[in-house]
Amino acid sequence: MEHNPILVIGAGPAGLEAARGAADLGYRALLVEKAPVLGGTPILADYAAITPNMENAEVAMKRMVDAVADDPLIDVRLETVVTAAEGDAPEINVTLSTPAGNEQMAVGSVIVCTGFQHFDPGRETQMYGYYEYDDVITLVDCERMLKAGSFVKPSNGETPKRVCFIQCVGSRDRQIGNFWCSKVCCGIACKEAIEIRQMVPDCQVFVFYIDMRMYGFWEDEIYWKAQDDHKVNFIRGIVTEITKRGDQVVIKGEDTTMGRPVEVPMDVVILSVGMEPSEGSTKMAEIFRMPLESHGFIETIGGALNTVTTSRPGCFAAGASTGPADLEDSISMAGAAVMKAAGFLRKHSLAASKSA
Amino acid sequence: MTETKSSFAPLTAYSPRKKAQSFVQKDSVVIEGVDISGQWNKMFDAREITSYDLTHMDKLTAIPGAESMGWCYQCAQCIPACPVDNAGGDYGPRKIFRRLQTGVDIFNHSDMWLCTSCQNCVRVCPKEVDMVQIMPAARAAAVLEGNVPDELVEMFQNVSEYGNPMGQSARKRVKWTRGAGVDIRILPKDAQPVDVLWFVGDYYAYHDRGNDAAQAMARVFSRLEIDFGILGADERCDGDSQRIAGEPGLFEELARHNIEQFEKYEFAKIVASGPHAYNAIKNEYPKFNGGSGFPIEHYTQFLSQHLDRLTPLLTRPFAKKVTFHDPCYLGRHNGEYDAPRKLLQAVPGIEFGEMFRCKQQGYCCGGGGGGMWLDGFAAEHQTERLSENRVKEAIQVGAEVLAVCCPYEVSRFEDAVKSTDNDGKLEVLDIIEILDQCME
Repeated sequence: MEHNPILVIGAGPAGLEAARGAADLGYRALLVEKAPVLGGTPILADYAAITPNMENAEVAMKRMVDAVADDPLIDVRLETVVTAAEGDAPEINVTLSTPAGNEQMAVGSVIVCTGFQHFDPGRETQMYGYYEYDDVITLVDCERMLKAGSFVKPSNGETPKRVCFIQCVGSRDRQIGNFWCSKVCCGIACKEAIEIRQMVPDCQVFVFYIDMRMYGFWEDEIYWKAQDDHKVNFIRGIVTEITKRGDQVVIKGEDTTMGRPVEVPMDVVILSVGMEPSEGSTKMAEIFRMPLESHGFIETIGGALNTVTTSRPGCFAAGASTGPADLEDSISMAGAAVMKAAGFLRKHSLAASKSA
Repeated sequence: MTETKSSFAPLTAYSPRKKAQSFVQKDSVVIEGVDISGQWNKMFDAREITSYDLTHMDKLTAIPGAESMGWCYQCAQCIPACPVDNAGGDYGPRKIFRRLQTGVDIFNHSDMWLCTSCQNCVRVCPKEVDMVQIMPAARAAAVLEGNVPDELVEMFQNVSEYGNPMGQSARKRVKWTRGAGVDIRILPKDAQPVDVLWFVGDYYAYHDRGNDAAQAMARVFSRLEIDFGILGADERCDGDSQRIAGEPGLFEELARHNIEQFEKYEFAKIVASGPHAYNAIKNEYPKFNGGSGFPIEHYTQFLSQHLDRLTPLLTRPFAKKVTFHDPCYLGRHNGEYDAPRKLLQAVPGIEFGEMFRCKQQGYCCGGGGGGMWLDGFAAEHQTERLSENRVKEAIQVGAEVLAVCCPYEVSRFEDAVKSTDNDGKLEVLDIIEILDQCME
């Protein structure tokens, strides 16, 4: 039975997994990616290694990209975005904006894998001086340096002696409006801390946190590993503000387990920025008329037992387009979504052949 | 917000604020006629943490055995379990870790010496921060640097010179036997094979109240017709507390000496009066005799195997309310909670009741890990002695007798009964003394 292809929007980890899954099940996939390359945020944001197993991000993503690249059932479109959609699954007519102009396609089902965007620590508040001080960077900036193989003090290129992470930047914050925990930043901070300690063994690394959220195996595989094996220092209490004194940035906060104020100079401060809904996710929700949940991510309606079904029949969402998600979540959700999309198409075909 | 140069914030290299640092802790301070000497004038220290100086943390965790000090994730389960913190010592692994992380030099700090190695924190620690491994390793380094409280130095010297912490001569080790009223075979004088080699221990041999227990033990053994002998003047301190207090070399010397004595005689098993000797001979001595060790039992374990013959001999009622203090090195360190209780339950007329903190959760008397010789030092850093804390609990549960089975404890608890103004309200007796009293 011939079906319209399953439209997969976004070629990050979730989208690549969904497209590959569709093809593995014998369904055609139309994989649409806004950027000129496949791989999504791990590639576009220059991640050094993936969390938690610390595999080189390029190697890991290349494996996923290779799995879709030459599959005859997968139609890969780079530099392409969906600009309009009409009709209902399994007969949705989408308009694609491609480098060669607009194109109309009929798709049977949709899986939105448009991911997240990193919180911009300068957007809502300037309290950490991200745009003022060169030596205040984000997890993403740090990834870039780690990937380049040289972790330095950005202001002068010197080797840092003391570095700290500040957790929960842009997350768990009523004032900013981001009420959620971004789930991955604790683990990523631990991962980057380990990488810094490996790259610059004389550099002391501190992590200022409210509570370390290391669920499941992340607890011992990265958190304990960072502390026990790599001597990363975890200090409870989030830094309130950063000032610049001479060529150092000085963090000011409270060491809550000591009940003492902290005022300590650092060479580099890394802001552990969280996840926000991506622009692409918001747009796709609008185009496919999928409601957003209260935090602004795409709403799934199945609760704990169905994490990918949206209120729009035949339309599914996976990964961080639905809320903060780590790679493990994203890949698992992509598998679930493609299974449900294939199921949706098959049931429609069965119903159609019965009525015929 | 942009950074502007202002007269209030000159752009100079950062230096920590010195605001409160002109005040330092004084050994003796009198302000407006009030003497505030001691721990609490530390309130004059700077409150701000201006540097997480990890020098001492790194130094400590680099010592083999002390690595796990760096593993603490601040869950704080150890603090309620720490007997020193319970006694007002502001102590426990979580706090030591934080102080180290904030730059405190533990090698020159009371934190190094207050741990009694009771193992209660290790029992509850989810990260397996193991103070029982950390402390001996760290203290050995401190001892090499010469940073040791005077009281400990004196004890180390006594043990090194005389073979016992009291600094008594070896000859006097058998003096107590004269008052026992029964024959006691001294193996160096009569080397015939023997069933039980009784390792008497320093406190039974030299301390007045220990002598009472030693004599009681000899009488009970005799009534049970146990074939036993002692090393007499050839016995030396078991060394376990010296090991934990930071003298592994001295420990090895003592262990090798005692092993040499054991090897001279034919015996079926060693019975130790004390849990510390029991622990040393069971768990540490094998390292010095090719791993084979010696069959060893604590006296409560040994006697509880002879209850069929012991019980009929206990004819005189002991109609008192009795509670029992688990020795750390019998209970938590070696898992024995039943043997002493079995003996007490065999006592006719006894009304036995547990304290709130018993068995695995048992509270420490304060004598372990060198604490036996650090009462003066501990007093400067705690609001009460651990033994005082324990005695109050015994009284709270309505006990008339606090039964013990560690030679350190009788004198510690008797002192604590007096210092807590409970004279006459609580009797402290070794279990062996109770058994002896019950025999006609």
